[in-house]
Amino acid sequence: MSKACRCLPETVPQVSAILRYCQDNKVKVVPRGAGTSLSGGSMPVGDAILLGLGKFNRVLEIDYANRSARVQPGVTNLGITKAVEHEGFYYAPDPSSQIACSIGGNVAENSGGVHCLKYGLTTNNLLGIEMVLMTGEVVRLGGKHLDSEGYDLLGVMTGSEGLLGVVTEVTVRLLRKPTTARAVLLGFPTEAAAADCVAAVIAAGIIPAGMEMMDKEAVKCAEAYVGAGYPLDAEGLLIVELDGPPVEVDHLVERVAEIARGRGATTVRVSNDEQERVLFWAGRKAAFPAVGQITPDYMCLDGSVPRGRLVEVLAEMREMSKQHRLRVVNVFHAGDGNLHPLILFDANDPDELHRAEEFGADILRLCVRVGGVLTGEHGVGIEKRDLMGVQFTEIDLDQQMRLKCAFDPDHLLNPGKVFPQLRRCAELGRVVIHHNKMPFPDIPRF
Amino acid sequence: MQTNFTLAQLADPETARSNDILRKCVHCGFCTATCPTFVLLGDERDSPRGRIYLIKAMIEGDRAPSASEVRHVDRCLSCLSCMTTCPSGVNYMHLVDHGRHHIEETFSRTLPDRFLRGVLAYLMPRPAAFRWAMVLGRLAKPFAPLLPATSSDPGGATFLRRMRAMLEAVPDRVPTPSPVDRPQVFPAIGLQRKRVALMPGCGQQVLAPEVNEATVRLLTRLDIEVVNVAGSGCCGSSVLHVGRNDQAIELAKRNIEAWLREIDGAGLDAIVINASGCGTTVKDYGHMLADDPAWHEKAKQVAALAKDVTEIVAEVGLSNVTPQPLTVAYHSACSMQHGQKLDVLPKKLLREAGFVVKDVPEGHLCCGWAGTYQVLQPELSRRLRDRKVSNIESVRPDVIAAGNFGCIGNIASGTGIPMAHTVELLDWATGGPQPAALM
Amino acid sequence: MAGTIRPRDANELRRAVEWALNEGTTLDVRGQGSKIALGKPMDCGQVLDLSGISGIVDYAPEELVVTLRAGTPISEVEALLAQRNQMLAFEPPDLGPLLGLQAGQGTLVGAMMGNLAGPRRLSAGAARDHLLGFSGINGRGEAFKSGGRVMKNVTGYDLSKLLAGSWGTLAVLDQVSVKVLPVPDQTRTLLLLGLDDATAVRAMCAALGSPHEVSGAVHLPGRTALRIEGVAPSVEARLTALRELLADAGAGMEELGTLGSRTFWREVRDVAALKAASDTVVWKISCPPTEGPAIVARIRSQRPSVEAFYDWSGGLVWLALPQCVDADHELVRGAIGAKGGHATLIRAPEAVRAAVPVFQPQPAALAALASRVKESFDPKRLFNPGRMG
Repeated sequence: MSKACRCLPETVPQVSAILRYCQDNKVKVVPRGAGTSLSGGSMPVGDAILLGLGKFNRVLEIDYANRSARVQPGVTNLGITKAVEHEGFYYAPDPSSQIACSIGGNVAENSGGVHCLKYGLTTNNLLGIEMVLMTGEVVRLGGKHLDSEGYDLLGVMTGSEGLLGVVTEVTVRLLRKPTTARAVLLGFPTEAAAADCVAAVIAAGIIPAGMEMMDKEAVKCAEAYVGAGYPLDAEGLLIVELDGPPVEVDHLVERVAEIARGRGATTVRVSNDEQERVLFWAGRKAAFPAVGQITPDYMCLDGSVPRGRLVEVLAEMREMSKQHRLRVVNVFHAGDGNLHPLILFDANDPDELHRAEEFGADILRLCVRVGGVLTGEHGVGIEKRDLMGVQFTEIDLDQQMRLKCAFDPDHLLNPGKVFPQLRRCAELGRVVIHHNKMPFPDIPRF
Repeated sequence: MQTNFTLAQLADPETARSNDILRKCVHCGFCTATCPTFVLLGDERDSPRGRIYLIKAMIEGDRAPSASEVRHVDRCLSCLSCMTTCPSGVNYMHLVDHGRHHIEETFSRTLPDRFLRGVLAYLMPRPAAFRWAMVLGRLAKPFAPLLPATSSDPGGATFLRRMRAMLEAVPDRVPTPSPVDRPQVFPAIGLQRKRVALMPGCGQQVLAPEVNEATVRLLTRLDIEVVNVAGSGCCGSSVLHVGRNDQAIELAKRNIEAWLREIDGAGLDAIVINASGCGTTVKDYGHMLADDPAWHEKAKQVAALAKDVTEIVAEVGLSNVTPQPLTVAYHSACSMQHGQKLDVLPKKLLREAGFVVKDVPEGHLCCGWAGTYQVLQPELSRRLRDRKVSNIESVRPDVIAAGNFGCIGNIASGTGIPMAHTVELLDWATGGPQPAALM
Repeated sequence: MAGTIRPRDANELRRAVEWALNEGTTLDVRGQGSKIALGKPMDCGQVLDLSGISGIVDYAPEELVVTLRAGTPISEVEALLAQRNQMLAFEPPDLGPLLGLQAGQGTLVGAMMGNLAGPRRLSAGAARDHLLGFSGINGRGEAFKSGGRVMKNVTGYDLSKLLAGSWGTLAVLDQVSVKVLPVPDQTRTLLLLGLDDATAVRAMCAALGSPHEVSGAVHLPGRTALRIEGVAPSVEARLTALRELLADAGAGMEELGTLGSRTFWREVRDVAALKAASDTVVWKISCPPTEGPAIVARIRSQRPSVEAFYDWSGGLVWLALPQCVDADHELVRGAIGAKGGHATLIRAPEAVRAAVPVFQPQPAALAALASRVKESFDPKRLFNPGRMG
């Protein structure tokens, strides 16, 4: 095909027919949910069909007794919560783009959010899916029950970035809203003090519902958008959420506040009501795009590091920022060590664009060097594809590509994503056997 | 986002402004979630982000858009829900107006389409002609059922389908013109606290003359002198939204001239507008005339005085309230909540007037009226209206209030629950007559 | 009798697999062999014993992560974590006594390979949810890794999920990183007495649907137990709230304190209720929680002597049936019905396990896919051939 083309199917048989046609004719397909990926996961490529799931936007079944909801993949993440909140339930993973991102996309990316410290990522809250394979076959994985009868294909589909199959239905676990939830704003005079406080809270055996950090610049932008009353003088701001029965929340709020004061917190502010708690989060959740107020473009990274290395990583990042002559703003999930540095640049200036990419790659290499990974929740997509070799050996990647071959032997689904260099499945499938070799005599045998 | 305008292109001030707007967008896609047409159609090109890319492509490429590109821009309601959602501060309103202007200048629409748009652009700003058209339309209305009720393609309605929509929008009874809509001064009842001009409007005085009447009664009772200034009239929004910028600018200049005369004469504390669609436009006159040095400052001066009627009522405060024990579902018009960012204030006033006020689920979604939209995009308009009505009915109100006459007519056409303008309810609660719709 | 090969490190392990590949010898992969009586009986050319690759590599309590070698006994890991007041939140069960073997055996990696989990599966997830990363050898004799040591990681496919629950059929692991959590200050249990199955499951679902963070919900004959964990004042408040919530069920109520609770839930975890009658076959059924009682009723109508109890709020049914040649597999799987679920034969004599599907048979398209997945890791089918049949 020479011309880009898109399909907006409305039924599963249509999806199946499209994929079967594509398989038969060796046409590439890029599946797409709401198009909010931060790694270019659903970016169209020139010679592929774009398969939009936007019309799959209905909630199919809500089963409160079994605490599950069955929805179409185009339903937004927040849409699920909206559908059940009048009964006091919600869907726990809450990526910051939850207003717009689709649940199908969440499955593809294994999206996290600000509350996954306590409640897990998509993979921990997903009960089942229906998916269409490249052959057009429709299979169901999981359902309202727990765990798989065979290989955990549901687990491997989650976060597979649209490379293995097209999800056409999703069953998620619902949770009952906690009796109370309160968010605490903690302002620190240095980023290091804030990062220290994060480690100290976890070390004290407290697992908050969420523990987020923003640097001064991010606070300024978010505050300009929502007016949450963030302390503008703090170099590092933590938002810590605690939930449970009121006695527990009060108890933990006091303990967290005490730990924070011990680390020099200059602001300790507890949300007084639900409205204020939501406001505290609104700023955090809009922080990325809000940075659009002060820069024409930004590159959002997603490295994940051991919590204990946060301080060191932040400091080194500041150094890199000077080297590359580009500003960096930090908004991130401190509780689970998942960084989101935003590199500010002007894409209309080719040199800045180039420097931003270099800077980004340097940050991710740093993350891997300290024992972390390239991406905590945004996915590899196109953005980090060429850095996969920093974290994985060729054998590691070959093994992953072989798994891809089991689902999509012609590499038709979401081409150009995740893997830096493609190898044909036939080549990957070859097994080298050296006959007549002596068994290794030094290994103990009985 | 990255843009690729040449220096020559950026020399055009409208393009330069659009470049600035585009540079703010970080294509996060939050706007898609609250866009009524994306919610209905699930097609990226029917979302703000999709339209931003379409408009960018046509103005960057300096080319005529394709029919398909035009179709998706045409489906935009201009409800500006996206602007409320956008964390990056993208001024979609100005960008889409530029896009429409560009389409109007470079794209050649089909003959029936041009005819229909020409008729609407002629009639909408002219109350007298509009009234005659309504009277004639009244005669033709019984024949509406002979026209097609659906189109094979939602949003791509045929001429006849649009004609049917236009006839269906004609009210069963065309009210007689109200005496308040002639140029005159209404003195404050007590000691004068403020002096304001009341924007007479265009469509509203034909279809809902009771709104201006209630406004005059309410404001004068609150000791505000109200002037209906000779020469002021349509704000220009209806023609602006079909891409006729020049015509909109002429209308704006006429208003600015008239109000400036009054400001320089007896003085004005505010220009009061009781149709929120018009309010959004008048408040934006500064931008509309930004490229005309002779008018820019004047336009800004007028725009700064523009106030929704609820803003002025809140400034002086309600007094002598006789509460009515009714539950009101408040429909926040798009131009009110997204265009003017007035969402809380009208509800607060209604509560102060003694009503029980309920929010409507999916309150951010447009009711589908959107000016000429209900005629040009009848299918989408109807689906949005039905969705709005079922959301409103879910809170079981006694009455529905809104601050924009268009929404009122549109929603009322789909429900048995009575509707009134916010001002009518406030007028009633402070000693005015019971709104006709409630009798 | 097959010989045993017992590598001492990852390198030897790789060479052992390479050797098996070259020889065309199949491998019976084991840690301590504590679950050898579970799954399809195998006939392998060689036993690959991982117990020589043992020991904790790194334990970072403040990072909530422990990294250990494949042969490390679970008891050693639990003892280490206890020193820092942490735990394996998914409660890996000790199925030894149920399977007629010794108690206290087994490796943590073995529990991972079976994706086993105890009562806290409801709130904390299964083994799969705690395996952060691993390194191992695939069926090509290549050393590879996946995942990492951090809490959040979506770099590449989540092979940890696939390996957890693969019963050693995809790759042989030499090292894993596992997420750990703090031990709650207090554990208490609310017992509801005398409820029938259906009422009990309704009560458990109501408790799980409440905001009181129940971390265990089991119904044994005559006793329904709900576990509440956390800081003392919170536990107290939630227990009180639960009592009020469940007052309508009309059951007598009792409470267990922290020590009593620990014993009680350990027994639930290890399926102690069914271990005594060694002449029965034991099934576990995973199903939507509300479906549990109906499934049991269908089976009971055919086999009145069935013993059953419900964990996971009804979503995990344990059954003991009188022994017979086919372990009643058609009856059990037929009882599951259209609402979804699957049954695994946990305990049965070898001959019975050889004759009937131990794991739930899958629809053709899915089975074919699973087979291709197996091939992508182990093309010559060296590892535990046929175990998951």
